[in-house]
Amino acid sequence: MPDFTDNLRPSQPDGPTTLARERRQSNIATEELGHHLLASDGFLERQARILPIIQQEPLFSKDQQQNLSRPERFKLGVARAKLLRRMRDTHRWSYLEYQMAEYLVDDVSPYFLHMEMFITTIREQASDEQQAYWLPLTKSWKIIGAYAQTELGHGSNVRGLELEARWDSRTKEFVLHSPTLTASKWWNGSLGRLANHAIVVAQLLLPDPGSPDIYVSHGPHPFIVQVRDMKTHQPLNGIVVGDIGPKYGYITMDNAYMLFDQFRFVTRLYPYCHVTHYIYRSLDYLSITPRYSGLFGLVCNSPVQGQVITLTRIYTKPEKPALIYGSLTYVRSNMVHRARLVLARAVTVAVRYSSVRRQFQDRDGDKKGPEMSVLDYPTVQIRILPLLATTYALHYTGLAMQTVYKNARQDIEKGNFNSLAHMHSMSSGLKSLCTILATDGIETCRRAMGGHGFGGGSGLIQVNNDYLSKPTVEGDNWMITQQVAAYLIKKMTAAAESPDTAGADETDARFKEFIRNKRCLGSEKRTYDILNSDLDVVKSFELRATAMAYDAYEQRVMKKQNWNSLLIQLHKLSRAQSESIIVATFFDALSNDKTLSTPIKSVLWDCFRLFALYSMENESFEFFRSNAVSQADLNALASRVQDLMARIRPHAVKLVDSWMVPDYLLDSALGRYDGRVYEDLFNRAHRLNPLNRITFNPNYWEDEIVKGSGDNGGGILSKL
Amino acid sequence: MPAPPPNWVKALKPSGPQGSELLQQERAQSNVDVERLSELLHTKETLERRASLLALLQPEKVFDKSQNHTLGRVERLQRSLAKAKRLQQLAEEHKWSMTELHAANDLIGEPTPYGLHASMFLVTLREQGTPEQHKLFLERAEKYEIIGCYAQTELGHGSNVRGLETTATWNSDDKTFTINSPTLTASKWWIGSLGRTANHAVVMAQLFIDGKNYGPHPFVVQVRDLETHQPLDNAYVGDIGPKFGYNTMDNGFLLFNNVKIPHVNMLARFCQVDKETNHYAKPAMPSLVFGTMTWVRANIVLDAGGVLARGVTIATRYCAVRRQFQDRDADPHAGETQVLNYKMVQVRLLPLLASMYALHFTGRGMMRLYEENQSRMKAASSPDQESRGAGPEQLRAGANLLADLHATSCGLKALASTTAGEGLEVCRRACGGHGYSSYSGIGPAYADYLPTLTWEGDNYMLTQQVARYLLKSARAVLAGKPAGNDTSQILQAYLDRRDKGASFDVLDEDKDIVAAFAWRTAHLTFEALKHRDAEQRSWNSLLVDFWRLSTAHSQYLMVKNFYEAVSSPQLSAALDPETKGLMHQLFRLFSLHTLEREAAEFFSSGAVTVRQITLTRTTAVLKLLDEIRPHAVRLVDAWAIPDWQLDSSLGRYDGKVYEDLFRRASEENPVNDLVFDPYPWNSALLKNEPAKSKL
Repeated sequence: MPDFTDNLRPSQPDGPTTLARERRQSNIATEELGHHLLASDGFLERQARILPIIQQEPLFSKDQQQNLSRPERFKLGVARAKLLRRMRDTHRWSYLEYQMAEYLVDDVSPYFLHMEMFITTIREQASDEQQAYWLPLTKSWKIIGAYAQTELGHGSNVRGLELEARWDSRTKEFVLHSPTLTASKWWNGSLGRLANHAIVVAQLLLPDPGSPDIYVSHGPHPFIVQVRDMKTHQPLNGIVVGDIGPKYGYITMDNAYMLFDQFRFVTRLYPYCHVTHYIYRSLDYLSITPRYSGLFGLVCNSPVQGQVITLTRIYTKPEKPALIYGSLTYVRSNMVHRARLVLARAVTVAVRYSSVRRQFQDRDGDKKGPEMSVLDYPTVQIRILPLLATTYALHYTGLAMQTVYKNARQDIEKGNFNSLAHMHSMSSGLKSLCTILATDGIETCRRAMGGHGFGGGSGLIQVNNDYLSKPTVEGDNWMITQQVAAYLIKKMTAAAESPDTAGADETDARFKEFIRNKRCLGSEKRTYDILNSDLDVVKSFELRATAMAYDAYEQRVMKKQNWNSLLIQLHKLSRAQSESIIVATFFDALSNDKTLSTPIKSVLWDCFRLFALYSMENESFEFFRSNAVSQADLNALASRVQDLMARIRPHAVKLVDSWMVPDYLLDSALGRYDGRVYEDLFNRAHRLNPLNRITFNPNYWEDEIVKGSGDNGGGILSKL
Repeated sequence: MPAPPPNWVKALKPSGPQGSELLQQERAQSNVDVERLSELLHTKETLERRASLLALLQPEKVFDKSQNHTLGRVERLQRSLAKAKRLQQLAEEHKWSMTELHAANDLIGEPTPYGLHASMFLVTLREQGTPEQHKLFLERAEKYEIIGCYAQTELGHGSNVRGLETTATWNSDDKTFTINSPTLTASKWWIGSLGRTANHAVVMAQLFIDGKNYGPHPFVVQVRDLETHQPLDNAYVGDIGPKFGYNTMDNGFLLFNNVKIPHVNMLARFCQVDKETNHYAKPAMPSLVFGTMTWVRANIVLDAGGVLARGVTIATRYCAVRRQFQDRDADPHAGETQVLNYKMVQVRLLPLLASMYALHFTGRGMMRLYEENQSRMKAASSPDQESRGAGPEQLRAGANLLADLHATSCGLKALASTTAGEGLEVCRRACGGHGYSSYSGIGPAYADYLPTLTWEGDNYMLTQQVARYLLKSARAVLAGKPAGNDTSQILQAYLDRRDKGASFDVLDEDKDIVAAFAWRTAHLTFEALKHRDAEQRSWNSLLVDFWRLSTAHSQYLMVKNFYEAVSSPQLSAALDPETKGLMHQLFRLFSLHTLEREAAEFFSSGAVTVRQITLTRTTAVLKLLDEIRPHAVRLVDAWAIPDWQLDSSLGRYDGKVYEDLFRRASEENPVNDLVFDPYPWNSALLKNEPAKSKL
């Protein structure tokens, strides 16, 4: 219905005018930079090709999704996921293309665990026979699987799992049983409502060969179990399974609970033994101390063929530890790479909106012109521009991790395992730091946008809610930093034993040099010239991390301090080490690059400096204490950071444009490419908002809620 | 709702030790007198009132909370209005005071669509209306015959009230005002209770008389028909859509197409247009408005403590129940360690525990200052007549207690709400995976609290006011004309000792901690003054410095207020010596943890030495964590937040965490009513519903 609001325009200068001016004032070629960042594996081309296909489908319209109830939103998620899977067939998409489509739709897929963990676990851990049976069923989606490890009472500590799988040698069956409520599986994605099969991790209980009535636990092992009827989709007898309820985000995922009551595998359905060798996921947590890295394995014959289970317990090293570490690094490098795109989304919205949004006039100005663009306020810049620099830092870090992974794989294939521990430590620390940078960064961007950042039109609500799970998955960020510290302490201990020998690797050499310098105290008090040399910036980060590693070594090894009392310090050490790696890889990437044009190169160098010096300023005391940077230089940091922000500021809009995030994915009134912020906000509120189709009865003495419905409030209560 | 689980599930218990046993153990290992501490914090009267309200509200079906996080936006708002109506009916029936209504609302735990009517609409009418207007609007509003809201913020303008675009033009011919929205960005936006509920609004609009702009003024405008509840002609009003949180409130938009309103609808207690002469009469007592804002902010600081206490209560109890891994150095046969024993968890939670006490005592301190000032103002024969500038820099930095309080209040509002908002998120993350569930109770509270960081003045913008005031005070001190207030005293003290340097014994002397915070603030103030006055740097280029300065000053005020509270005779009288000692430890933890985080400023200002910071970091804070740890559960118990208000499986008083999580997931979760067809090529979505997707 037309009304007077149709003729209203935003006050001038409006968004399009402002963004056009922003884009004119920078000489950066966004095509070139976008290509540099995203073209190498065909990402940009795929995005351009698949976007219009997705946008054509009404089911993928994002207009109403924020208004739906949990059940309806979940149903929408399932409907979309089904359609995407069908489209993969229709369009003959490769897996990468399919992933692009998912990325653009931006729902967490309720089939995610089927497509990732379920298949991967079978592929990596099932025997050849088992694979021959299960893989075709899984790949063709004839069965839908999930992965059930975490329990109500146990997350990171896999050894503490309570679910039992007892081998009944009489009937040749496994019996799954949950002895307590805390043994309930919990948080297991895709299992709450969708999957009919699951890989279930349980404590394997076998009869003691000497006295068969006594059962002995052999630690956690994975089993493939059917959990729902293939026809009715109801849980099988003896299984209780369901969705765990509303969450902060992940609204389209049916995270599950699941309990077993003396549930027996019917061997007829399962021609092969389901005991496989090892739960690779758990290694990450178990490897905190060396005593856990001796691994359980179990050799068993097929119950069908031999009807016996050979009770030979073999303590072996994992067959291919390298691959296990390796795939973790791979997963984590992907997380870092994804982190940069998620952060880039948030920064895109924040930079564009902060350019369009105006507030107050410059106090020292003539007070005649329009209000200032809020991105010209240093208090806004200091929240957004370091994050803009962070997107680039994460980009090069992700790339470097992939290279390290490739090289390590090659080494390993040659039988050289030396780089493993280093790689594992690096990926632990970086996963922790990078996901925190992205998570906190999204929220910082959202808040930097004032009131409208809180609104649904910001486009940052679902992404924030979904992404907030990242600091805890794949290794809780606070837990895994211990591994970095443990590794560094070990390296420092080794270096301290023979500081005068040549370094075995880069870290070792750096540590030995540090120890030698420490010995002749006072002989070298040189600090780095961080304000004038980019290389010195890198060195100062290294020195700070080394000094902190030495402190930790001193506390733990020399003074024998309690591990628990050091955890805070170790966490800081991990951060220092990871920051040092990010800064160094950023530096190397820019130093080695021979392709980028001068304007882009020079602004990226400023981004490097901003990221490094801003991080340094936040922890300046650590740099001072480790003699990496002089007090005078630290005092000058604040104004240097501000100068750098002023230099990057004119390029801000083009720097975010270069990430090429399509408007459809942003789903943000504030972050639109064309700057029509207010028109879009109004359109969403006025035309797309279902609440405005309902007239309320506001009188408190009348129980009726919807005017004229005569509902007496009963309709509302019936939802309970 | 899904059927209850089978008996074998009902019979299951969590593995031992039970949550209830662990919390019992926690409570047994501390002698803190929870009851006396509760009474000190809240007063006995408040606690009793809350208990009787709780007994009244909890049994009512309409206040059931189980579906809060599963409903769609439309249904949620409908339910929220149903709650609001019932509350108002109860308020009438039981003759509740405003305080009781607020307490009841707190227990309900979410904003309702009457929220802005009951607060800002009534308050504005009361404070800014004439007796005639009170009769015309206030009396009907108090009876809910008209329902209103406060429409200030616009689509294009938030904090900068002077930039508002809505106009109110005086028509001298027919003695009316024309309210108009000249642009789209002039649309009122974010206006609570306006979206679907209110039929009136106090609209802030630029007053134009004879082509001249007199700035923003309040006008009462009817926006919906009292009978049909449809928008009036040429008023365009609706809800602005789904949000990060606050989805039980109908934040609205509003546009006017040249709507005429009578002369009497301009709220005229302080400023008016003379009907006969068409002249504008100036504001009489702007400082009163100042006072209201200060009062609002003192409440925000006080509330920040309460909000943070919710998160800390939940996280502390859950971390005492949750066990994970064995201590690396402990006996390998011991069970898993309570996560609250991990230093990494302690260092996140216990400083927040200290912060919630700090916020509480600071809020109380501000309130006292506000009240003292109110009585002083009433006593004074001629109140300060100076017109309001952009901030206190324009005010005399003389003995103006109000300016001191105002600067204080806006900096503290910023620090307090940021501390609480971010603290809640820290608490949520400290709960690990289960913190991500809505049943943790933290996520929803966080989402609803976040707007506080923006409203009543954006936290970053506000810090400029503090800086202006501090610069002004510093200039006065340098000119030898210091005011007799605390700010001037700390600046003077710094100048007096600057050459000698500071040597504060922050590790052993509590009052030296306060002095070190004062020193750092004074140092930063004179640094900023040097940049602004001697180096003539632009205001804009100094905003980051100002923000740091304001944060430093507000931290000083919190440390000072906390110190004064724990050293007060009232506290000694109210608590046993052991609990009192614990309050001192909380003070030290709050202060030293802050000092350690802001180490660089303390060091570069010369307030403390590098050695002191290192010792704080490696020894003092760790020792305090150890000392406070055994009392953690009792210290949150003392906050006395009822389970029903917490609405958290993790934070239950009885520690039955896992039973409650499981009960909610299996019995209160409508998703489990859906039986899906999981195969992509079957277009039917559900097996237990006709194949029709509802989008």
